[in-house]
Amino acid sequence: MKKEYAKNFTPQEMIVVAGSRTLPDKKVVFAGTGLPMVAITLAQLTHGPGIVPVFEAGAVGPELSRGLPLSVGDSRTTYKANYLLGLNSAFELTQRGYCDFGFIGGAEIDPYGNLNSTMMGTFPDGYQKPKVRLPGSGGASDMACSCEQTIIIMVHEPRRFNEKISYVTSPGFLDGSPNARQKAGLVGKGPYRVITTKAILGFDEETSRMKLLATLPGETPKSVQDATGFELIIPSDVIEFEPPTEEEIRLIREQIDPKGYFVAKKIKE
Amino acid sequence: MYWTGLSPDEARQYLANKDKSKKDKRMTLKAAVEKFVNDGDNIGIGGFVNARQPIAIVHEIIRQGRKDLILSFQSAGLAPEYLAGAMAIDPDHLSIKRMELAYFAHEAFGISPLLRYLTENSLVELEDWSNYNMSARFKAASIGLPFIPCRSPLGSDMLQTNRAKVITCPFTERPIMLLPASHPNVALIHVQEADIYGNCRIQGPLYTCPEIAMAAANIIVTCDRLIEYDEMTRYPNRISLPYFAVDAVIEVPFGSYPGNCNGIHYFDEQHIQEFRGLCEKARKGDKAGLKEYYDKYIFGVKNTTEFVNQLPLSQIQHVQKIEPGIRLDAGFTVLE
Repeated sequence: MKKEYAKNFTPQEMIVVAGSRTLPDKKVVFAGTGLPMVAITLAQLTHGPGIVPVFEAGAVGPELSRGLPLSVGDSRTTYKANYLLGLNSAFELTQRGYCDFGFIGGAEIDPYGNLNSTMMGTFPDGYQKPKVRLPGSGGASDMACSCEQTIIIMVHEPRRFNEKISYVTSPGFLDGSPNARQKAGLVGKGPYRVITTKAILGFDEETSRMKLLATLPGETPKSVQDATGFELIIPSDVIEFEPPTEEEIRLIREQIDPKGYFVAKKIKE
Repeated sequence: MYWTGLSPDEARQYLANKDKSKKDKRMTLKAAVEKFVNDGDNIGIGGFVNARQPIAIVHEIIRQGRKDLILSFQSAGLAPEYLAGAMAIDPDHLSIKRMELAYFAHEAFGISPLLRYLTENSLVELEDWSNYNMSARFKAASIGLPFIPCRSPLGSDMLQTNRAKVITCPFTERPIMLLPASHPNVALIHVQEADIYGNCRIQGPLYTCPEIAMAAANIIVTCDRLIEYDEMTRYPNRISLPYFAVDAVIEVPFGSYPGNCNGIHYFDEQHIQEFRGLCEKARKGDKAGLKEYYDKYIFGVKNTTEFVNQLPLSQIQHVQKIEPGIRLDAGFTVLE
């Protein structure tokens, strides 16, 4: 069958498609709220019917076919679940090593994949009076620490990509020094991919700094660098990411998130 | 080291002196809150974000007013938002002193306006943890241990401001984190089914409700339906909380509305958005709408029935209709 590429799609839909394609089949994927849930559902409906989603509120291995969950603790996460207890059991599975990927987002990221979802302002002095208070870790920091690898999704804007972030909520490669995670006592390997509205990024093995792997449709290595508040490693073999297919966009719009809870949200400037 | 709520020794002593007899624990929600929620208490909030949150109990606390509360929860939305709204309207009637939390927002429905209001104006003291941390802290308390080891989030800035300690594991000689137990003075728990003695049967995700409850000194339970004791004990494995731990049982259908209660009703998205919108206006300085909301739905009514009665039946039927969870057979319910 010839592939038809979608003519129009939103930045969130692009993230969902890229996220979905990054997930291998038959892996256990710990899902953060929002776009990760949409991406996992798309993967289940396309190449990854064997993906086992884990929701921190307790549901493990459900079928996501009773409507898009609006919360990771919502009844829609429980349909045909293969295991269902509570938060402790979900995080215990993770700490034990059962979760291959954690799929999370954040408001701010640094070159080593450390994420902030707690506060903007000065830390620790301004902790009790932040400039902007964000929701807090939730389970993201637990996933970043103890899932085998982490996939991070971000809106790609210079103010969100900073050499130094206000607060480290979810650890990436920490200060980037050799074996920093291991030395800190962490068991998971750390960030695997950063999927943004402009690019797919990975991390340099030696320096643990963020590295451009692929540009999304309409972007160039320069436009990606211009939207990043720190210097990226840009190798010579950056590829252009394959655009979303009509089928992928149709599934997102008609089947997965028809009301546009997560894919139609306006990105705040 | 300081403890909020009870220290492990105090918590142990409290249970030693507790009446554990099998007696009818039904009372009015008003009486339960009068008896078990005090100024300065550390309150353990059950549920998860906007699912199975103890909204009816929280509304009653707001009606009665309490000062200097400490709120402990993993992820919550509506319950702390309602309490924060009451504080925004009149801090002399209700005030929150401190929050020990992992997440306070509404997921798909947006961030919490009043978390921003309280923190950016420095009106509450904060202690940030992860979801696993808060859950494990309640678990440590529920199994009678003063602390529990945990691997996450080692390396996070959370450890600079919370009471976690990083030690070298005496066995592996690698760093490990220790979390202090959390023993709230009172746990607020909404469940689908309970019997008159306090046995509870939770359906769907348990969240951290059993641990929060067993960690606390006292437990207030609201349930969507009261079922006969014989029905409850037909499935002993399904009892999520044993009666001797529970202090008060109140049958409150829609006790976690407008949130989601597995098998009973889904989120009332319309009502949550309406309330959240008023909270956002209050954050920006216009509290009139929020005050009107509280006067209409909380202060102007005696209970959840009167709150929900003000909404069109079609709206209530809709949230029941779209609930995708399994409808369990309740068996025989308690008739009066």
